[in-house]
Amino acid sequence: MLARLGKVWLGLILVFLYAPILVMAAMSFNASPYYQLPFEFTVEWYEKLSENRGILRAAARSVGIAMVTTVIATVLGTAASLALFRYEFRGKAVLRVLLFPPIAIPWLITGTAMLVFFFGIGLGRGTPAVIVGHVALALPYVIVVVTARLATFDPTLEEAARVLGAGGWTVTRRVTLPWIAPGIIAGALFAFAISFDQFVVSYFLSEPGDSTLPVVIYTAIRKGFTPEINAVSTLIIVVSMAVMLVAARFSNFGGER
Amino acid sequence: MAGGTAISGARAGLIALLSPAYLWLTAAIFLPLSAMLFFSLVTELPFGGAEWAFTLENYRAFFETPTYATLLWKSVRLGLIVTVVCLLVGFPCAYVLAKAIRGRAREALFLLVILPFWSNSLVRIFSWAIVLRGNGVLDLGLNALLPFEVDVSLMFTTHAIVIGLVHSYLPYVILTSYLALQAIDDNLIDAARSMGAGKPTILWRLVLPLSLPGLVAGAVLIFVPVVGAFMEPRILGGRVGTYYGTVIEDQFVAVYNWPLGAALSFILLAVVLFILAVASPMLKRAQA
Amino acid sequence: MTKRLICAAALAAMAGAGAVQAEEIRVLNWQGYGTDLDWAVEAFTEETGHTVVHEYFNSEQEMLTKLRTNPGAYDVVLINAAFTPQAQEEGLIAPIDKEKIENLADVPADMAENQDLNADGELYGVPWTWGLTAYAFNTQAFEEAPTSVEVFWDEAHEGRVSIRDDALEAVQFAAIATGQDINDISDMEAIEAKLTELMPQIKTYWGSENDWNQFMAAGELDVATYWSGSASRSIASGLPVQFVVPEEGAVGWLDGLSIPESSTKMDAAHAFIDWMIDPEFYVKWADEGAPASANAKAAEALPEDAFNRQVLGDPEVVARVQFQRPVSDEDREAYLALWQKLKAAQ
Repeated sequence: MLARLGKVWLGLILVFLYAPILVMAAMSFNASPYYQLPFEFTVEWYEKLSENRGILRAAARSVGIAMVTTVIATVLGTAASLALFRYEFRGKAVLRVLLFPPIAIPWLITGTAMLVFFFGIGLGRGTPAVIVGHVALALPYVIVVVTARLATFDPTLEEAARVLGAGGWTVTRRVTLPWIAPGIIAGALFAFAISFDQFVVSYFLSEPGDSTLPVVIYTAIRKGFTPEINAVSTLIIVVSMAVMLVAARFSNFGGER
Repeated sequence: MAGGTAISGARAGLIALLSPAYLWLTAAIFLPLSAMLFFSLVTELPFGGAEWAFTLENYRAFFETPTYATLLWKSVRLGLIVTVVCLLVGFPCAYVLAKAIRGRAREALFLLVILPFWSNSLVRIFSWAIVLRGNGVLDLGLNALLPFEVDVSLMFTTHAIVIGLVHSYLPYVILTSYLALQAIDDNLIDAARSMGAGKPTILWRLVLPLSLPGLVAGAVLIFVPVVGAFMEPRILGGRVGTYYGTVIEDQFVAVYNWPLGAALSFILLAVVLFILAVASPMLKRAQA
Repeated sequence: MTKRLICAAALAAMAGAGAVQAEEIRVLNWQGYGTDLDWAVEAFTEETGHTVVHEYFNSEQEMLTKLRTNPGAYDVVLINAAFTPQAQEEGLIAPIDKEKIENLADVPADMAENQDLNADGELYGVPWTWGLTAYAFNTQAFEEAPTSVEVFWDEAHEGRVSIRDDALEAVQFAAIATGQDINDISDMEAIEAKLTELMPQIKTYWGSENDWNQFMAAGELDVATYWSGSASRSIASGLPVQFVVPEEGAVGWLDGLSIPESSTKMDAAHAFIDWMIDPEFYVKWADEGAPASANAKAAEALPEDAFNRQVLGDPEVVARVQFQRPVSDEDREAYLALWQKLKAAQ
């Protein structure tokens, strides 16, 4: 009874989570450029999108940058979480607290600070600078999420494996990583989301003409934001959903034992 | 001798694991933010040979202008409301996902929860506006379903802001709670039940304490950014959508007053850290 | 031998004189504001061989920050005349070589000699477009066009009006409503009182043309402050709105095109600016909805019924316009403090 109620609740929340996504998709097929109702079907926006190289190129760049960011942030973040979990050392509390400034200070300020600083040290701007910024913003999220999962890990398991003769890397690979895999996956998904939606840093640090999708979207609102943006967002969601469901079909990261 | 190597081996391991992430953060966040901290303490930005001097004036401005404190309090309240709603809504979801759903469906649902996150936040907010406004999707939908006329226009209210923010941040708490809940051994729950513990007792004494790390991580990832939010409040809140983040943004966008904007940001950071510091011993006690 | 040398020198001289070397110029502007129209850029590339890359800004402060922090990155920048003196004093922009801009001859003297665009006898921004900040109303909500700004304070429209979320615009709007000089506001108390009365009337603030169009299209608003160029675009796209220059007056602004001091492609930049004030470019742009051109020949080339001719071409209207002058940092911050105080009280 309670379990069924719970499933209903989960279903309702999924409806809530997808409501704006469905509206977004519906508006990509709606004729009104100002999202007026009633609904009037058209594929005009998809046709326009297929000719709009600016948006398509920006979307491709965003996906690429988000993938690179995800890999780097997940690897570095997981390593740092393991260190914070395994070792006792002076200054550990400080390192934990240091994760908060990048989350708490609005990205506008952090982005402005990066702009000034990167120019000061001669890194300038361009794709490497954008990735440096994205990874830095995603790292604290990865560390917080993976650390939360590690908190449920019993350290004596590592010790037992070591007593049985396993080396350091083997212990990590065979015992620790499988346990925290759901945390790593969640961290990676967040890292991708943060990079993919990151506006300020890309905006300040991209070369002119090399903008990312969020930059195209944010600058478009000044003038008029056409449903082409809904169309490209819908395509991205549909493709990601397909990729994710395939991934879910062939892997086991939910922690099922 | 052997002990010495073990310790230095441990130290090498620690450094190897920790330093890449923290060096990265130092280069891309801590040093730039230190520059901002410096700007918050000067009279003029030291660019192009401008004359500047150290001052605490920018911090004093916060205490001398009641607007800032009013808005900071408003933002903190919003952060708390959004966090609590997310926890109340998200924790049961995570529990169902971790304990009542098995097999492949679980992986699929896990991913489905996070997928809305992979869209642009601005597009999502605009979609909420279409749902919530008068003559919007919600209004038209309810009137089509209900036998009587209702006038639903949530747009430009605090409710709309909370709905939009909860939507944006809910996946954090669902996934972090899931990560903790899924780690609880079902045998432990069965054992408690066989010893006669009722459902509320199991939840309160066993499940909640064990899933606390996940709940706390989720709460932090929600509360901390929401206090500085300005985009969702502006679009969804309209006239009532002015928050502390708005006045910080204005100092960078409307006027060129980085020193004041930076000072306001660091005050925000200090208040957030203070709240977390006050909350952390309470949470530790709850867990013990 | 000598002959061949002379030949080579002659060739080199020709290449230099013709400046046929194709370059890529970078333009810093608001997005969708004329310079980045596909057909315009293509025509320019075809004519001169130079290619154009755009970068956008979302506020004047950001534009100045970009100029300060990215020397050498831009070749043409759009600067509102109220900000040109600041950019010039900071050494961010170079004087314009008037010889290289043929169409400048058709820009009337009152614009070309604008005190904010000129300094020390040099021109720092080529007058490009101008327009008004007044308001537009939803034609379905009014029987008769509201010709006085007092409509914003009319209780019949409570919760149905909007102004832009911008301290300077809010204060200057109130200055016009209280009969003051927007560039020399003497009675800030009257401004504060007037805006305080306005706040409960407001449904939401708008931030961009996109917001404005969506709120109007959704029927949320009766009347809202607006820019003339944007109004012409909204009307062209079919929204049921009409632009009004109220009897109390309106705020005028002038946008100029400047060349950053650090640009290394001066010739190409001048050529681009020349094309931007060309009547041929303007007439085509105005079809899609554009602000008024600073070039008199371009304005004359518009059809009789064009928005910019009808509304902005009327000398009686122009007489009511107060053109924006530079605003000091102190005033700007004082306006912002007032605006934030009012917004925070909601």
